[in-house]
Amino acid sequence: MSEILNIIAVGLLLGGVYSLVSVGLNLIFGVIRIVNFAQGEFVMLGMYGAFAAQVALHMDPYVAVVLVTPALFLLGAVVYAVILRPLGGEPMMQIFATFGLLMVLQNVILAVSGGAAYSVDSVLSSRSVSIGPLQFGLVRVVALTASSVVAAGLGLYLKLSLQGKAIRAVAQDRKAAQLMGIDVERVYTITFGVGAALAGLAGCLLSPLYTMSPQIGTNFILPAFAVVVLGGLGSVLGAYVGGFIVGLTEALAGYYIDPSLKDAVLFLMFIIVLIVRPSGLFGHAGAEEVGLREQS
Amino acid sequence: MSKADRLRAWAKPRGVPTFAFELPINLAVLATLAALVWAFRADGFSLNILAGAFLFAGLATSWNIVGGFCGQFSLGHSVFFATGAYTTANLYLKFHVSPWLALVPSAFLSAGIAVAVSWPVFRLRGPFFAFATMAFTEVLLSLAMYFDSVTGGSRGVSVPFRAGFANMIFRDRLSYAVLMLGFLAVSLIVLSAIARSRLGYRLQAIRDNEDAARAAGIDVLREKLVAMALSAALTGIGGALFLMYVRVADPPTLFSLFDVGVKMALITLIGGIGTIYGPLLGALFVVVLENFLRAELGGSIPGGNLIVLGFILIGTALFLRRGIYGALTGLVARFAGKPT
Amino acid sequence: MSAFLQIDGVSKQFGGLRAVDQVAFSVEAGELVCLIGANGAGKTTLFNLLTGQLAPSAGRILFEGRDVSRHAPDRRARLGFGRTFQISQTLTSMSVLENGMVGAFLHHRSIKAAADAAALALELVGLGPRASDRAGALTLGERRRLEVARALAMEPRIVLLDEVMAGLNQTEVTEIVDLVRRLNGQGLTFLVIEHNLKVVRAFSRRVIVLNRGALLAEGRAEEVLNDPAVIESYIGRRRS
Repeated sequence: MSEILNIIAVGLLLGGVYSLVSVGLNLIFGVIRIVNFAQGEFVMLGMYGAFAAQVALHMDPYVAVVLVTPALFLLGAVVYAVILRPLGGEPMMQIFATFGLLMVLQNVILAVSGGAAYSVDSVLSSRSVSIGPLQFGLVRVVALTASSVVAAGLGLYLKLSLQGKAIRAVAQDRKAAQLMGIDVERVYTITFGVGAALAGLAGCLLSPLYTMSPQIGTNFILPAFAVVVLGGLGSVLGAYVGGFIVGLTEALAGYYIDPSLKDAVLFLMFIIVLIVRPSGLFGHAGAEEVGLREQS
Repeated sequence: MSKADRLRAWAKPRGVPTFAFELPINLAVLATLAALVWAFRADGFSLNILAGAFLFAGLATSWNIVGGFCGQFSLGHSVFFATGAYTTANLYLKFHVSPWLALVPSAFLSAGIAVAVSWPVFRLRGPFFAFATMAFTEVLLSLAMYFDSVTGGSRGVSVPFRAGFANMIFRDRLSYAVLMLGFLAVSLIVLSAIARSRLGYRLQAIRDNEDAARAAGIDVLREKLVAMALSAALTGIGGALFLMYVRVADPPTLFSLFDVGVKMALITLIGGIGTIYGPLLGALFVVVLENFLRAELGGSIPGGNLIVLGFILIGTALFLRRGIYGALTGLVARFAGKPT
Repeated sequence: MSAFLQIDGVSKQFGGLRAVDQVAFSVEAGELVCLIGANGAGKTTLFNLLTGQLAPSAGRILFEGRDVSRHAPDRRARLGFGRTFQISQTLTSMSVLENGMVGAFLHHRSIKAAADAAALALELVGLGPRASDRAGALTLGERRRLEVARALAMEPRIVLLDEVMAGLNQTEVTEIVDLVRRLNGQGLTFLVIEHNLKVVRAFSRRVIVLNRGALLAEGRAEEVLNDPAVIESYIGRRRS
């Protein structure tokens, strides 16, 4: 009995990680309809940012968040303005451009770090918390909490604030939003910046968990997209829940089927959802067509 | 009509080129490349580079069928590459079938897998389709690592060196360069035949506007599957040739998203997506550049060659959408005084 | 014996909304029928049912006796349905001639045959001189005509026009009206959705009026357009 509880616990904690990593991607994809293949690299940069802050300023990664997140917001906004804005409406070119960005970011870090593997220490690193027969690593619990807080915060922001409503308006109907006086490109720039910042935040909070290498970004991008698609584009709640679905699936598949096949199971599930319900579990039916169809 | 006019009307009715028009151009291009090989026949290092360039030119040309002409951005072509490699390897190693003969089942199996995998996924548009193909690559990579009796798992599959034409194993680099040129030739001619045919027009219509294509009576799914099957078959052959060339490969190498799947797309874009000769130009440019960068920067700046490639990719997407081929034809048109 | 195109008690329901309500009429071979109705009357839904974009919730659509109600758009095209789109869907990367060829390939295999057939279709709509221009460079009126040409190159048995006059200036409208009249005179069947009542009057044939998804009136243009019920559906009742 405690075995399955353990697996579920592992799955939920994994889910927390995936939710955190995917919330930025969900925002970008849901609003701007850009396939940002470089999103995993933003997470990676968050991690390396935490490392740099620790080495240079002796900051704990949880403190470094204050530096890393705004830095990544800036990077995101610049990337959008310079590279992606000119490519509006050409998904194939956007895919190429973000892939190019992925290659540049990954290999710049490789060149700078010389391929050495780094790790980050935190005050919370080896601490754990016990509930009943189960033990939870504190860092993972913090990640889970953070993802919940971020998801809730983002959801409320989008729903209640004026800027958030503008973002939702643009996501639903770009032209109508323009007619209402919303500066669509500004919204896009900010959204992309926020998406990058959230990825950086995730990287920072997760940095004590992983041994960093420049390629670590690619470990995140596919599960992140799986989460976004499963949960439903543009739905903050959907991506949040999607993270847990992915985490639980991975944990259960790893235990009951075969650890080396857990990726296969996960992606098979992802493909099936894509085919059967492309708008995801929480998205509106047809959400996946918005932005891909001419709206005039 | 004069004789020249009649000839032109036969090869280019109403200014639209036919395969009869294109084939001689293909052959001329291939002859030029053959001359290039001959010029370097004594230089093993250069022959190596040329072989690699021709292989990727052939692969990119085959990707262009679905990616460029049909507009379906497949990131999953490494699956077909790996299928061809493993089919040929297993037939050769376990059943002693000559790799030349094994190319046929390799092509068919790759095509079959392509149809099976794409059929449920083709209803997805744009980026969703791309992601589904990426996901399929990951699934099949996992399975390939798991079923190590077929693939050799993480140890990989290795082909012992036993030189002989029947084994497709050669001592000299010149033979490999010629082999890869032969593969490129097949790819190029197949692409030309498709481009200058009813299938080619239908694929382009699907790329430009699926609804309009349907209204014109085109069975969109069927045409996409045909394109995918042809593309996968050629890619599978390329994979088989690759394996016989390097003689040892593991699943992460063959299924590699970046080194195989994305690279085919990257090369096609840089060269000129949706054109017949674009992928070839892209491959020559990228492979030669990569080798140059690896030699110059590889030691001092790890990953330096990929940084440059990444910037080229971004730059091409932003400024040179029509690729090298498009830029060249644009220049020629401007010199000829025609409006571009 | 059923008519050329028979719409048999067709309905389309979207959840609680009945967009098309038991509409029944028929089109004979060689006719030019106009389908009109105020906004929201169900014209577009009915049109989508005819082209195969949607399947009816009830009723049947029969073409030359064959039940095509659930046929996909490309299958209907192969049976002889030609159609244009309200938002022009030309193939912008290809030339004008090549756009026509895509239609011509339905009945021709070789490039030469398709190119010749397409050129003929372009001549019919007056786009002959533009054959080698890129389709993306055409004006709106020319793109509308190109869509008609592509449909014609398919050698259709019936042509469905969806608000083909929308956004065109007076000259362009006259051009297309003349074109449609000419082709109809040669025996091609047309079903035309039209908003522009002047055009409907100019065609001066059988008119079918939809209101709130149901058939309101049917008859010759002059009668129908003066029918008080029809006028009311467009403008509303006079408050005295």
